[in-house]
Amino acid sequence: MTELVTLEINGERHELAVEPSETLLEVLRNQLRLIGSKRGCDSGGCGCCTVHVDGKAVYSCMLFARSLQNRKVTTIEGLVQDGELDPLQTAFINEGAVQCGYCTCGMIMTAKEFLAKEEQPDEKQIRHAISGNLCRCTGYHKIVEAIKIAGASR
Amino acid sequence: MTNTTVVGQSVIRPDADEKVRGGKGFPVNVSLPGMLHAKLLRSPYPHARILKIDASRAEELPGVKAVLLPKDVPQIKYCPVYFVPTLAPSMVQDMLIMSDTVRYAGQPVAAVAATSAEIAEQALQLIDVDYEELPTIFDTESALRDGAPQLHEDAENNIAVNPSFVFGDVEAGFEDADHIFEGTYKTQRAHTCYMEPRVCVVESEPDGRLTVHSSMQHMFGLREKLAFSLGLPESMVKVVKPPYIGGGFGGKLDLGYIEPIAALLSIKTEKPVRIEQTRYEDFITTTRNPIEVYLKTGVKSDGTFTARYASSTLDCGAHATHGAEVINVHGMFGILLTYRCVNQTWEGRTVYTNNMIGGGYRGYGSPQGSFAVESQIDEICEKLDLDPIEFRLKNAHQEGDPHPFNPDFTLSTYRFEDCLRQAAEGIGWAQRTPAGSGDDIVKRGIGFGCQPVWVSGCMGFPDIYEHSGAIIILNPDGTANLSNATVDMGSGQITTLCQIAAEELGLQADQVRMTYADTETVPFDAPSHASRVTYSAGTAVKAAAANVKQRLLEVASVMLEESTENLEVRDGHVHIKGSDRKLSISEVATRAESPFVQMTAEGPAPTTIGEKGTIIGVASMAPPSNPSPSSVEFVEVEVDTETGEVKVLDVVFAHDIGKVINPSAAEGQVEGGFQQGMGYALMENILFDEETGACLTADFLDYKMPTAVEMPSRIESIFIESDEPTGPFGAKSLSEPCCSVPAPAIANAIFNAVGVRVRELPITPEKILAGLGKL
Repeated sequence: MTELVTLEINGERHELAVEPSETLLEVLRNQLRLIGSKRGCDSGGCGCCTVHVDGKAVYSCMLFARSLQNRKVTTIEGLVQDGELDPLQTAFINEGAVQCGYCTCGMIMTAKEFLAKEEQPDEKQIRHAISGNLCRCTGYHKIVEAIKIAGASR
Repeated sequence: MTNTTVVGQSVIRPDADEKVRGGKGFPVNVSLPGMLHAKLLRSPYPHARILKIDASRAEELPGVKAVLLPKDVPQIKYCPVYFVPTLAPSMVQDMLIMSDTVRYAGQPVAAVAATSAEIAEQALQLIDVDYEELPTIFDTESALRDGAPQLHEDAENNIAVNPSFVFGDVEAGFEDADHIFEGTYKTQRAHTCYMEPRVCVVESEPDGRLTVHSSMQHMFGLREKLAFSLGLPESMVKVVKPPYIGGGFGGKLDLGYIEPIAALLSIKTEKPVRIEQTRYEDFITTTRNPIEVYLKTGVKSDGTFTARYASSTLDCGAHATHGAEVINVHGMFGILLTYRCVNQTWEGRTVYTNNMIGGGYRGYGSPQGSFAVESQIDEICEKLDLDPIEFRLKNAHQEGDPHPFNPDFTLSTYRFEDCLRQAAEGIGWAQRTPAGSGDDIVKRGIGFGCQPVWVSGCMGFPDIYEHSGAIIILNPDGTANLSNATVDMGSGQITTLCQIAAEELGLQADQVRMTYADTETVPFDAPSHASRVTYSAGTAVKAAAANVKQRLLEVASVMLEESTENLEVRDGHVHIKGSDRKLSISEVATRAESPFVQMTAEGPAPTTIGEKGTIIGVASMAPPSNPSPSSVEFVEVEVDTETGEVKVLDVVFAHDIGKVINPSAAEGQVEGGFQQGMGYALMENILFDEETGACLTADFLDYKMPTAVEMPSRIESIFIESDEPTGPFGAKSLSEPCCSVPAPAIANAIFNAVGVRVRELPITPEKILAGLGKL
């Protein structure tokens, strides 16, 4: 029942045999061991699994891998360029926006897409942008600050 | 206050870098060669007897390696709570790994291990179970009624435990009162909503030993409870410390079904077995217990308490577990000890129902008590036209008093009044208008709530573990490795404990590294719970570091030919006091580790035996006291009188937590605690179908918790730093009270805005509109 699907993941082409019911999240975690994308709910409710497909932030638990033929996927592991952390990653560390860290990667992927679209976002826009990503440790305050700082530092 | 250089700094947490890159250390990532995946079949009925199970079709499915049924499971009754000895008489041993009797919808009745989770899931559909349905009880009132079905044979009237506490003469106190107030306050089930699901991997060895990986808050508790439930000696179980886990908040403070089931399946298949819960399974796996509190208070006209009586009924669901202890903490720290009152009586009941099993959750009974106490105080002040701040201060404990919990301890540091006054100023309390003022559709109100007394761990609690251990080893490069069994669930224990060790050793924070360990290589530590780690584990870490320092001085003393009394450690060096002569810690540690005879240009040079041996410090100890932090929170809310919608606009917290070890981490605790408290106050509620007992809020789409949008943009944290003499560098504790006070603070602010008193959480728009007479 498996079928072959070609995906470009973090700039590398992968030909993968996937089950019809296999989600992108499962492929990333189980086949490629890209464990930065987390399963928090499997129902599009928490955002821990957020990745980019063709630059757009999506819940990877809600997409069947077979529907993504030839699409470009970026995960948190693809954000580090030439050994340098993305400014968002640095800001999350410095602002104390990471506590347990389980939501962190999904949160950063959502913020990354948002900052690519918004030149000078205000706080309200940031809060709306990450409203599909749940965090239970931080109260979001330092996360919002980190996104503000990363946005302003460009 | 002691001068410190590392303690008191907002040191960046060492685990953050790894977490922003992907976070490989979460238990959910553990994968072992040949690992099988297991799934649990859960009962659709809330109360039933299993007549027959036929798993033959499941066993035949290709890929299925083992099936586990109740008949395959040791029938040893246990209490799953990590922080008590297994047979603690104050707890209730009423659980089985699997039983022929089902007491809540979702109780596991069978399990399958297969080569993939999908196959295991498919196999569950092939298991036929014949149930005989039994009569159900979903509320405590019905459970307590004469003639109600009895859910556990030892529990008459379905009462698991019924503790009470009596101080003074409550009847005389009520006679002495000028006014008496009564009210009933109800709280709901709320889930901790840790983001990382409960997950475990258990690997059995041919000799019967088990190695366990799990997302949990206590390595040693898991070892003890798992071994007991399986009938094994504890030494046969090794629990590996995860570098960190994805949240806990009390929700991972007991043995789950998954660990013993994975263990039995691993023994059966001789393969590692992994079980990861679905979010639905997490939502029915532990919750804050709902408690109904009847509270009666007698006061003099000036506001002095003369008597307090409370009775609390806790719905523990199908098994007592934490409910047997939550009720006590609730009665003591949620109600009786909060303020001074000579005449007090409290009676508690933990009652079985066919609801899901309750559990631990940040605050452990105090949010339920705090909602009742702090709401009623505001009701009293409103009625008697008394100032709510002065009222509380009139009845408050004072610094230097004997600790109300244990008179052997003293409230050495207690800055409750400073907390109240500074937070009041921060919110602009003086501008508060009378309740329900104005004609605007959207009205604003200010209110506050307090947790005047709380714990720094469980020192002095009956039957609860409270000691910690630490091992610190100096490396030849002058850095140190710290081993300790504390599980960091996100609150920053790795960071603060390393800061404490570094401060004691004169190192930089990043020169101490938390290493990872298992139950065979580090000494016991009580769990990450009860706001205890900074104070209690911090005390042990500081003691271990002091032992390292002593040894460091002894070696340096030989090298410098100077007595240890004349030496001191600071800035990464051992200095001769009052002299420029010094050695780096690295030089001393290298000498201690060097070959006994060292070759030099002048030939072989023996060192001394006294210098030799790894510089290591070990401590395992209980902390000296149980100092009380104080927490006060003021909020400003906006209430729409047309829709009943509440928005929290502004929040100011003030805490006395002793010395703040890491200000940024402390703020993070408070901000996160507020989010959980606000969710509890306004929206969170686990709901069940009233007929079938099925959970209706089993994912994040139905269970509403605050997102970034609902949160206020300002949460100010004021820390009043006292210097607790029994704490490491003056520290007390923080984690829980900030999660207990938001509900009463918000309820009181809503009353101030619109004049509606809601005594049942969550305070939904419907309840406000009903209060306004609009529904």
